[in-house]
Amino acid sequence: MHHLGHLESAIMDLMWSRSAPASVREILVGLQPERELAYMTVKTVMDTLHRKGLLMREPDGRAFRYRPTRTREQYTAAHMGEVLASGNDRRATLLHFLEQIPAEDLTQLREALNQAAGPPAGTTQ
Amino acid sequence: MTTPVLLITFALLATLAGPLLKGRGWVDRSPRLGILVWQALTASIVVSVILASVSLALPVMPVLGGLADFLQACAMVLRAQYSTPGGAVVSMAGAVMAFVLGARVLYCLAIEVMSARRDRKEHIGSLSLVSRRDPTTDVLVVDHAVPTAYCLPGRRRDIVFTTAALRVLDEQQRQAVLRHELAHLHGHHHLVLIGANAWVRAFPRIPIFAMARVELGRLVELAADDRAAAGNDSRLTVASALVRLAEAGHAPASALAASGTATLVRVRRLAAPAAPLHRARVALTMVAATAMLALPVAVTATPALATVQAQTCPVEFPQSV
Repeated sequence: MHHLGHLESAIMDLMWSRSAPASVREILVGLQPERELAYMTVKTVMDTLHRKGLLMREPDGRAFRYRPTRTREQYTAAHMGEVLASGNDRRATLLHFLEQIPAEDLTQLREALNQAAGPPAGTTQ
Repeated sequence: MTTPVLLITFALLATLAGPLLKGRGWVDRSPRLGILVWQALTASIVVSVILASVSLALPVMPVLGGLADFLQACAMVLRAQYSTPGGAVVSMAGAVMAFVLGARVLYCLAIEVMSARRDRKEHIGSLSLVSRRDPTTDVLVVDHAVPTAYCLPGRRRDIVFTTAALRVLDEQQRQAVLRHELAHLHGHHHLVLIGANAWVRAFPRIPIFAMARVELGRLVELAADDRAAAGNDSRLTVASALVRLAEAGHAPASALAASGTATLVRVRRLAAPAAPLHRARVALTMVAATAMLALPVAVTATPALATVQAQTCPVEFPQSV
């Protein structure tokens, strides 16, 4: 399970670094210097990624060619969007260091800190 | 009939105690104690209502017969002790209510545990695609422009920083944030929140449970701040990390911004710490919290004990006693 998770991210790393669609064979070759992998293992994981909506594919002869549905940046933005949104609901999935704070409340925060730190030494307002 | 009346009165009084507890300064001075008291308070309300139903139901419960056999007499007296004016109907209603309440609490707890687990699993899936592990600190780093840090509790404990957070914090502040998140993980704060969520799910109309959830959410942050401050040495470092991250990543006015009040309380508290609570006061509060949980049980058991002691019911304990 853990191993498959690693493989998923290794495959997505490769897919995101390529500009053109890739076949399972090409990804297998790309992964191989570092790992011993069977063709079917890679194919299974790529099918899973397709099922999860991370890869799309089009037929190419008897096989498929795959490419990411979103760029890494888009995917990261969506992931972090969920993380940040969960800061204000009260589910116990994640525990945040702090909530997102509206800009107009920031001066008060800074003041509270400065009061305690005494006259700002070296720091400017 | 006095037992259920006492228990319900106790539950009502405990419900009224919530708003009183909320405004108290000592809760913020000792957040861990505050967490304990809120948990004891909410649990004692639920326990006493369930026990009130149980005590109504006792006359029709087979367990009473067993108990009476064990006491070698007294079924009559015991029944009389727990008897209600409504007789069997009231007792049946009590039995049903005890069952429904107990089942509801367990069901809601299970739902909360499972949904948190499912969410986390999903989150880990996408996190592993967008993060890399920093080999020196062992934290996961996500390349993202909003500076933030969070932890994933549960079996796979992980702490996540965005690259923006690493950039705006200095080394000491990073360590402070790390200690804060570790405190969440070590303190099993997610379980505190899961419990609070389960009460709210089970009794959505009763405001004290929602209040407890808000307070517990706030108090686990204060408790983690205290741990991150490592005694008192780095209180200002934790505070400055909070302010730094808030400044660098403030939410656009319309977006998901909560009010900054909770964070302001944290910064003020870190910046100007109040003296810790006196030991005697801590001990006293712990006793009170324990009593809150023990009282409903004691009230429920009293008639049975009274029966044992009553002269009309000669009890012969086994010889070893």
